[in-house]
Amino acid sequence: MKTLIIENIDLKKIGELMTVSRLFCDTPDIIALGDGEIPGSFGRAWQSAATVSANLVVPITQLIQQEGYEVILMSVSTLGTGLAGPLSAALSAPVITEVTAIHPDMVVDRPVYGGKAIIKYKIESTPSLLTIRRKYFEPEALAGTTPSVPLETGDEKVTLVSEKIEQTEGIPLEDAAVIVSGGRGMGDPENFALLQEMADLLNGAVGASRGAVDEGWASPTRQIGQTGKIVAPDVYFAVGISGASQHLAGIANSKCVVGINKDEEANIFNRARFGIVSDYKKIVPLLTQAIREDR
Amino acid sequence: MHIAVLAKVVPDYEVPSMDFELSNGRAHERFSRMMGLYDENAIETGIQLKDKTGSSLTLISYGLDSDVQFLRKGVAMGADKLVLVKGTSDDAAVIAQNIKQAVEHLGDVDLILAGQQSADMDRGVVPGILAQMLGAAFVPQVGYIESAADQWKVSQMTATGRRELEFNGLGVLSITSIPENVPRIPAVRAIFGAKKKPVVKLDGIDQGKMALAEISVEIPKIESVCEFIDAEDPNEAVKTLLSRLTEERYI
Ligand SMILES: Cc1cc2nc3c(=O)[nH]c(=O)nc-3n(C[C@H](O)[C@H](O)[C@H](O)COP(=O)(O)OP(=O)(O)OC[C@H]3O[C@@H](n4cnc5c(N)ncnc54)[C@H](O)[C@@H]3O)c2cc1C
Ligand SMILES: Nc1ncnc2c1ncn2[C@@H]1O[C@H](COP(=O)(O)O)[C@@H](O)[C@H]1O
Repeated sequence: MKTLIIENIDLKKIGELMTVSRLFCDTPDIIALGDGEIPGSFGRAWQSAATVSANLVVPITQLIQQEGYEVILMSVSTLGTGLAGPLSAALSAPVITEVTAIHPDMVVDRPVYGGKAIIKYKIESTPSLLTIRRKYFEPEALAGTTPSVPLETGDEKVTLVSEKIEQTEGIPLEDAAVIVSGGRGMGDPENFALLQEMADLLNGAVGASRGAVDEGWASPTRQIGQTGKIVAPDVYFAVGISGASQHLAGIANSKCVVGINKDEEANIFNRARFGIVSDYKKIVPLLTQAIREDR
Repeated sequence: MHIAVLAKVVPDYEVPSMDFELSNGRAHERFSRMMGLYDENAIETGIQLKDKTGSSLTLISYGLDSDVQFLRKGVAMGADKLVLVKGTSDDAAVIAQNIKQAVEHLGDVDLILAGQQSADMDRGVVPGILAQMLGAAFVPQVGYIESAADQWKVSQMTATGRRELEFNGLGVLSITSIPENVPRIPAVRAIFGAKKKPVVKLDGIDQGKMALAEISVEIPKIESVCEFIDAEDPNEAVKTLLSRLTEERYI
């Protein structure tokens, strides 16, 4: 099937979509957004520096119609989410977001009810649009680069005035082998420093639940879960996190979850491999000390 | 100025996985119903904007007659009225089509706010479809909104930070959660007052479904394998945890 990837220039995201595209075609085409060379080997490539989705709907719709693409792949991201709905309406095309598995004959899975159930859909017409949840498909290692022609974008509907990238030290959450996450049970922002100390010793990163983000204790960029980051570390420490299904949706592919919660009934223990029922203030400092001594 | 906020009533999204049950491929009807979590963030954002700009605010929902009692919470938070389009479809294009009907019925809407995701279908796609149907700009993951002259200035919360965007004309914004839009708890007086606010009901249309066939809905099996580590002696507990993690080669 004639397949188009639409993605920002990002090795991992393009790599994951490349893996997915192999289920539909030999070599996909790409619309790559942002500056820099396009990694990987594509049939044809278009590129634009514009990354605001509202300004890309018209040119991308035209390109899909002109070239007759049958499957359009994006990842779940600001860009993919910004494009999925408008492109679906503009093309009268079926759209499925947050796809986690793809089966033969255009059957795909996506979670609903915060991951408590999985819906299977069969896509019955082309073109069709899919946004793929991160961390569900191994990224293909991309070799070489593909030269591109410009994607003409025309008038801007929405103007990008400025962009602030948060400076985070250490390993990005998505790549971390160890994540220490705090929830509303942390009680106050200062105590997040305890988690940072522990994460640093383990060469890991600090995450948060929506509960902690809502309290203002952690930046929204640290949120893990279905509407935050999807992560897949070797070890995920959930400290003072109840384990709501929407949070667990973000750690489904973690190898080992450790729950530290004072409530033995907390749902996190239904997902955890190891559980400690206690006030985290008694455990985390000792754990940090023991890790330090272990090194 | 007239702000519309889209709100959907959904089955209790806090039910833990272990207790979750389906009937006819949807959450069991025994679960209580409530307004979507992100929709409440959108209403809170709308009310703050209404108060700053002296606008009016209308809630729009596509759903059941019986949803009105749950939507009243949004009215009690500060909306002026409610438009319910009656229907039962879960198809995102059909839902958007019905909401468009409500927007056209109101006639003078300047800005539309929605939740980032509904708390049942979890897909984040209805607002973008609606925007395209209305010829409006769609901006997802918005945290902050300001109105300046004839422009909207909005902050989009991305995975890596924050973007400041500007546009004029009609826009559909999906709202994400930030500490500043944690939904207010309506006062008792407001809850009573909400019962007197107008509710407009429109008949829905069931056309324009997407070319998707729903094959099955299933609950994934969860195997609980938690090994509880005795925390009586915290020093012992952390040593046990570390040695178990090392034994099983996780760290
Ligand atoms: C559509 C949708 C999307 C969502 N997306 C996300 C998402 O991406 N990420 C996310 O996290 N949530 C998400 N949520 C919200 C989710 O449903 C929960 O509300 C949220 O995860 C709760 O955060 P929490 O566990 O920190 O807080 P709480 O549920 O309040 O839990 C706090 C926990 O801390 C424990 N505790 C308290 N004190 C201590 C102590 N001293 N020591 C140890 N333990 C203690 C308590 O026992 C409790 O279990 C979403 C919801 C919806 C509807
Ligand atoms: N039936 C509905 N009635 C009103 N608003 C809705 C409805 N369905 C979706 N929405 C809005 O669109 C947002 C995203 O929904 P969804 O695309 O289903 O995740 C929700 O948070 C609501 O604000």
